[in-house]
Amino acid sequence: MKRVKVLKSVLVSNMQRARENRREFDRMNSLVINIIASPGAGKTSVIERIVEYFKKKRKILVIEGDIRGQVDSKRLAKLGVDVIQINTVTECHLDAFMTAQALPKIDKKYNLILIENVGNLVCPAEFEIGEDYKLAILSTPEGDDKPLKYPLLFHLAKVVVINKCDLLPYVDFSKKRAKKNVLRENSKARIFEVSAKTGDGFGKFYSFLEKELNAKKKKG
Amino acid sequence: MHEFSVTKSLVDLCNAEAEKNNFSRIYKIHLKVGRFTGFSPDSISFYFEHLKPNTKCQDAEIIFDEVPIRIKCTDCGKENEIEEPILVCPECGKMTIEVISGREFFVESIEGE
Ligand SMILES: Nc1nc2c(ncn2[C@@H]2O[C@H](COP(=O)(O)OP(=O)(O)OP(=O)(O)O)[C@@H](O)[C@H]2O)c(=O)[nH]1
Ligand SMILES: [Mg+2]
Ligand SMILES: [Zn+2]
Repeated sequence: MKRVKVLKSVLVSNMQRARENRREFDRMNSLVINIIASPGAGKTSVIERIVEYFKKKRKILVIEGDIRGQVDSKRLAKLGVDVIQINTVTECHLDAFMTAQALPKIDKKYNLILIENVGNLVCPAEFEIGEDYKLAILSTPEGDDKPLKYPLLFHLAKVVVINKCDLLPYVDFSKKRAKKNVLRENSKARIFEVSAKTGDGFGKFYSFLEKELNAKKKKG
Repeated sequence: MHEFSVTKSLVDLCNAEAEKNNFSRIYKIHLKVGRFTGFSPDSISFYFEHLKPNTKCQDAEIIFDEVPIRIKCTDCGKENEIEEPILVCPECGKMTIEVISGREFFVESIEGE
């Protein structure tokens, strides 16, 4: 019997595919955001807000990752935004190969590509899909301890959106504790507090995105 | 749940490495799994039993080498091992932390013939 060194990541093929996706997205000069949150946290609602705000001045594509169905795609199509649906069927997350299925369907240059990952705080965190960065959404009814319970996602997410702030009077959620818990996983996280229902708090978030989009434009 | 596809990748990777080294069988897979990953050795073992038949891994077992989380504080410079992934410096309380280890997830080596 012989022992041989391998020293290869188990995720190596996903990582390679993610890099190829990234090159494609970069060629189009698109800002690509991988949106991750638990089911019902408000991923689609936040995307709807971003689309409404930016759709006149920027070309936006939404890639919808769902286990099955087209419920969210239909919701977004109503806003007149381009949507590509990917059904993961058995998988609880999008991986780089599933995301690559969307590439041949992209027939123009988009400034912004928003990818709604499958509702799940655990699995999507480990799988790069070719994004510029991850955006995590934490909604107030879920509790302010979630960053500590799902540390990896909050560690990796450059942006954290605290959603459903309109419900703060009714839920046990301290914004202060939530922010502290996010920062304990990622001291550089950019945190925004919003309500996708009322639109409160989106101003700062839009200016942040605007800057990111401009930076991307300059690079290309 | 996601351990199924991950374990499938593991089996594919090991089969390819066995091929490269002219192994007809693998007996041991030494797998490094950091404690700051989303992968659980128990679920990997569980799926591995389902995925290994009729491959070069069919007689293999996985030897897990779990890697603790080590952090370095960029403020005070101290390094520490932590149990839970709460990235606060145990020395000075600052959150200026770099993760040094704990994110590993790779096949260190395989044994076979
Ligand atoms: N009160 C309140 N409700 C919200 C807010 N944002 C979203 N919702 C509601 O929460 C529910 C789930 O919102 P979605 O946007 O569908 O959430 P999602 O994360 O896309 O859900 P999945 O795709 O099913 O995982 C809907 O009933 C929304 O109307 C908010 O800021 N405040
Ligand atoms: Mg949705
Ligand atoms: Zn320190």
